[in-house]
Amino acid sequence: MQVKVVIGTIAFMLTMIVLGYAALLEPSRLEHFTGAYQGRSIEQGAQIYINNCATCHGVDGTAEQCFDAAGSVIPCVGRKLNYYFLLCGDRPLRLEETRWQGTKAQFIEMTVSAGRTGTVMPAWLNTFGGPMRPDQVWNVTNFVLNWETEELCENPPPQLNWPETVEEYNTMEFTEVEPPFKAEAGDPERGAAVYEARACFSCHGYPEEPGTNAVGPWLGDIADVGATRVEGMSAQDYVYVSILHPNDFIAPDCPDGPCPSPSTMPSTFASDFALNPQDMADILAYLLGDAYEFP
Amino acid sequence: MATIFEQISEMGLKQALITKADEITERITAGMNISDIRGALRGDEPRRPNPRLRPHADGFWFHIRPSFYHTEVTHIYPTFRLGWLSTFMMVWETITGILLMIFYTPSPLIAYGNMWNILSNVPLGQLMRNMHRLGAEVMVLVVALHMLRTFITGSYKKPRQFTWATGVILLTLTALLSFSGYLLPWDQLAYWALTVFLSGAEAAPAPPAFNQNVLFILQGGPALGAGGLLRWYLFHVLLLPLLLGVFFFVHYYKVILHGISLPPSREEIGEDTAKRVPKDERTYFTPDILSSELMWTALITLILTAGSLWFWDAPLESHADPVVTPLHVVAPWYLSWSQGWLKLAPKTIVVGFIPLLLVAFIVMPYFEVGKSRRYADRRLGLSVAFLFVAFMLVSNWMGTPKFRVESSPEREVSQAILPQEGPSYLRGVPYEFLVPGTYVPGQVIDGNPHLTRALGVFQRAMYRQSCTLNGNPDLPFNWYPCSEEVLDNGTVVYGNHFTDNAMPDPYAELRITQEQENMVRLTLIYEVVNPQNPEEFLILSDEAVGFRHENSLYEEECLFLNKNC
Repeated sequence: MQVKVVIGTIAFMLTMIVLGYAALLEPSRLEHFTGAYQGRSIEQGAQIYINNCATCHGVDGTAEQCFDAAGSVIPCVGRKLNYYFLLCGDRPLRLEETRWQGTKAQFIEMTVSAGRTGTVMPAWLNTFGGPMRPDQVWNVTNFVLNWETEELCENPPPQLNWPETVEEYNTMEFTEVEPPFKAEAGDPERGAAVYEARACFSCHGYPEEPGTNAVGPWLGDIADVGATRVEGMSAQDYVYVSILHPNDFIAPDCPDGPCPSPSTMPSTFASDFALNPQDMADILAYLLGDAYEFP
Repeated sequence: MATIFEQISEMGLKQALITKADEITERITAGMNISDIRGALRGDEPRRPNPRLRPHADGFWFHIRPSFYHTEVTHIYPTFRLGWLSTFMMVWETITGILLMIFYTPSPLIAYGNMWNILSNVPLGQLMRNMHRLGAEVMVLVVALHMLRTFITGSYKKPRQFTWATGVILLTLTALLSFSGYLLPWDQLAYWALTVFLSGAEAAPAPPAFNQNVLFILQGGPALGAGGLLRWYLFHVLLLPLLLGVFFFVHYYKVILHGISLPPSREEIGEDTAKRVPKDERTYFTPDILSSELMWTALITLILTAGSLWFWDAPLESHADPVVTPLHVVAPWYLSWSQGWLKLAPKTIVVGFIPLLLVAFIVMPYFEVGKSRRYADRRLGLSVAFLFVAFMLVSNWMGTPKFRVESSPEREVSQAILPQEGPSYLRGVPYEFLVPGTYVPGQVIDGNPHLTRALGVFQRAMYRQSCTLNGNPDLPFNWYPCSEEVLDNGTVVYGNHFTDNAMPDPYAELRITQEQENMVRLTLIYEVVNPQNPEEFLILSDEAVGFRHENSLYEEECLFLNKNC
């Protein structure tokens, strides 16, 4: 019996030592598993993203490379997600623009869950008629947030000091870009390509075909009606300002009645076009035809 | 009785404290004071009247234990401590289970997150979960072995038939308890294991309307969801433990009533050791049995704790998804035999056979009335038992994915190294060794043993699923030559030594690309040209895609013995 007491006592002490050892390692283990939970959530989100979201938002979230089911290139109709103005800082521009009061994570979760009214972005959460469970929405959110890197946030997109009117745009020299840029006469054919590439058609339809606009106003007659919208403003200035600052003027004639305010149009073109400011001239030439004036 | 202050003034502080301690000890042990305990531990003879018997008369916990046992049953043989161990596991599961209950909500929205909360936010949470899950599997094993032992030593015979019958029920309840706990994490493993189980309920040999209603009750609605999870949770923490408790006490009462059976050579049928134990063959509960049990408690606790910490890890797959069926769903190992049986007979017959088998087990001792417990006289019975055990082991083996219904060859290869769930060979490679690039099966990469190993497994999986028509001039090794079979519709299928559905001269590669700054994408690509028509591909697939985040920790899971990577 003495042997049993000794064995039992030793076993008990060893158990306590094992537990103590486990307890000592516990803080670092918990930290590891917190990372693992996040990491696996991002992995799951990636799987969902490539199956559902990449068609519109691009394979790398920059809305630049989109493929349909057959693998052919299609224009990206979604917004940029791997993007400075969505991910960087505590209150990125996108949150301000939509007057969102919560965090970035909540903004993305909400947008994925409920979709965005007035755009082609559908609701994904099953509560709102979508196909996903809450945990899946959360995984996608984590995946999108994981695009926030130092590299992205240390290199904000180039900014241009856009002048207030087309006349000034046509004549002034932009020294912020390298090499300095000066506008040339817009080319309607290139403008049509920009219109396609920037997926403007996904909301405004095609100017050649009335009634193709799904969300925003149809732009086929913008050369005429643009001049009537704001007193004292020419059609080309109206279009120019509306592209750069969508919220300055709200058009009255969206397909579902008056256009919503704040506008659902991305306010990122001021920064997008800074990469190649000539795009502005081309798209004005395409949309306005004869109403576009170049000296 | 004098108060402590009066005692102190009467006999001084030291003596008063000793007297008080003695009093308290006697109350706690229900009859033994400090010097009695020291005497018992030293191995002294007890004083008379024997204070070591008093706890059995005065305290509840000792009252339910006999005050002495036949010395013969206190040896490892014939009991192997299996009955005691089953009881120990029951207590173990109750304690760890209650601790886990604190952190669990039976809702499909929350349950899976709770698991990760237990793992990532609860101190010693992973250990607790591992202990509970490991304990559950050990308990099934121990109870099954207990039953086997009882049969082999013939202890089920008169007068212990009813004890055996309750034991069969306890085994069933143990398996059900273990299995009902399976669903609670609400991960893919849980969801699909239960779905397989429920599809059995649907196939029972009864009128379809009856089966439909049983299924409806078991899954808490037309499909397994929130209602079902809550129900299985209640089965797990309420109904089944209650039933287990009731049958446990009946079983235990009968064990005490008839005594634990002696080895077959020492006890005839119909004898009962509880009443007549000769004086010189008694082993008293206090202190011998008690100290022995405390020793085993300490030892088993140590083994299970160390096992849960270092050697065995409770699996947790991704969130349950009713629309994504993982390839090769398997039942837990202790129910794997039923999956094996499904390959031998139609579902309805299998599902109908299991309750019949249980009833046969329960009534067996009332029909098997052989006149001797000696092994030599029970050759037929023991042969049947061992054949049954062998049959169960083979059935279990047949239930494993080794005998699966094969999917397409490239999926089988992907399943071998990059399955949808679990750590696996590729995900188990530490993140820093997953260098972006393109790799072929069997490629050796200097300074990267992890990826080299995974690519080795890739090659072996390809070897099983490939064959060659042209003799593989480009490869350093040879695949089996293709056998061809022309189906009725004119398509040709190729086979090799292992399978009837192999890829003829395939090309395969692993592509690792940087998906995000801290995450890579793993893509398995297969290209198989149709030998009948070189313009066209038989297989052209890049669907097997997995992601690996730098923090996702699969390589640490791989350290456990029960993880395959």
